[in-house]
Amino acid sequence: MIKGRSFIIVVLVLLTFNACRNSSGRKAEFVFPEADTIPVSEAEKLSTEAIEDIARNISSPVEIANLLQSLAVPFSPDYLASSIDANKQTTSFDKAFTLGVLGADLGYLNMYEKTGSSIDILSSIRKLAEGLKVGQFFDFETIKRLSISKSNLDSLLFISIDSYTQIDRYLRDNSRGQLSALMIIGVWIEGQYLATQVMTEYPDPVLRDRIGEQKIILNDLLLLANPYCSRDTEFGELCRDLQSIKEKYRDVRITYTLGEPVTKEVDGALVVEQTETSVVDMTDEQLAGIIEITKTIRNKLIANN
Amino acid sequence: MKKNLITFIVLLSAGFILNGQTTDKLVSNCVMNAGPDCKYLKDFRIQLSKAPAAGEMRYKAQMSLWKNTKYKFSLCTAEDSKGELILTIKNDANQVVLSSFDAKTGKTYKSVELTCNRSGIYTLNYDFKDGQQGSGVGVVSMVR
Repeated sequence: MIKGRSFIIVVLVLLTFNACRNSSGRKAEFVFPEADTIPVSEAEKLSTEAIEDIARNISSPVEIANLLQSLAVPFSPDYLASSIDANKQTTSFDKAFTLGVLGADLGYLNMYEKTGSSIDILSSIRKLAEGLKVGQFFDFETIKRLSISKSNLDSLLFISIDSYTQIDRYLRDNSRGQLSALMIIGVWIEGQYLATQVMTEYPDPVLRDRIGEQKIILNDLLLLANPYCSRDTEFGELCRDLQSIKEKYRDVRITYTLGEPVTKEVDGALVVEQTETSVVDMTDEQLAGIIEITKTIRNKLIANN
Repeated sequence: MKKNLITFIVLLSAGFILNGQTTDKLVSNCVMNAGPDCKYLKDFRIQLSKAPAAGEMRYKAQMSLWKNTKYKFSLCTAEDSKGELILTIKNDANQVVLSSFDAKTGKTYKSVELTCNRSGIYTLNYDFKDGQQGSGVGVVSMVR
């Protein structure tokens, strides 16, 4: 009896020791939740804070443009949605989605300081914002002045991003959450298009990882769109498009290696370096599928407009 | 009586307007002072009353951070605050990645730089030191 009890204790101790020993270097994996789709009831329960969090989780086009710059990728106007004519956007769906797409393009132009060429896009953004009755939040004159003078990129980035944040918040606060969702989805699709198109011309492992890592936020994006999927045919099709993108990401694996952050003080400031890492496992075929579906969906949505 | 009421409403409105302007100025100053190599990404405007008891940090927001990116988190506290704005960032496993407040030494930092090597969704926890009342701005920038 005592022998049996001792055996159990030894096994428990060994299991505990083994678990602790592996904790610092063990690998975890990011997977989509079990269900393919998020129940509408769950999505509808999203609080304002949760929606704001999701909006913040969408990779900023400014971050993608910054990454491209750091990889010494030259600027190209070919990636921009220049075919869009703001005057032809008749429905609120088109206006809000296009507002997102052009917001991403504006971020790209600003980061590359191609601000002289951004005036046309700025005019389109103003038209669309006015069409959605949110023009009061887009400080067109100040952004235009900063763009032309090329004097202060920080102010330009701040005012441009802040204008979009205010529009987004106003739409949600005024029961027009579907337009806010469309704008955010537009920003993401255009940023994803930019990253994937650059990848075809200037392949780079860092950019490749960033494309693969979008799996992390795809579910959030669907969560945002889901309450409106049955609203009308346009929204329904957009939801199916997002599901198609998600399907292409299904077998992309993201694993994590754990580690403690290293902290030091440099000239009185705190500097932290993460030692835990994320690793993307994506085949060339999977990447090609993601590039293709992104291009098809983005171009279709732009052409519709 | 009516005159007093009108004066009260005017003063109240003026207070709101002034408070808004102060916050806007604090935000723009915080953005502009982030540093020459910094590119603005987002800001968080925090206004908290005194916490009834010590506990978890009260203002929480999620944000995605991406591998191979260096971020700078700047913390700016409004002059009339009783405590200094502090920040702790946790990963999705609720583990602390960084804190602008060193509990051992009691030192607070006005900015923290993070070299991110793990893409994911993080929680930014803001509060004022010792759960004090205050208002402030947290600015997130990318460092080139």
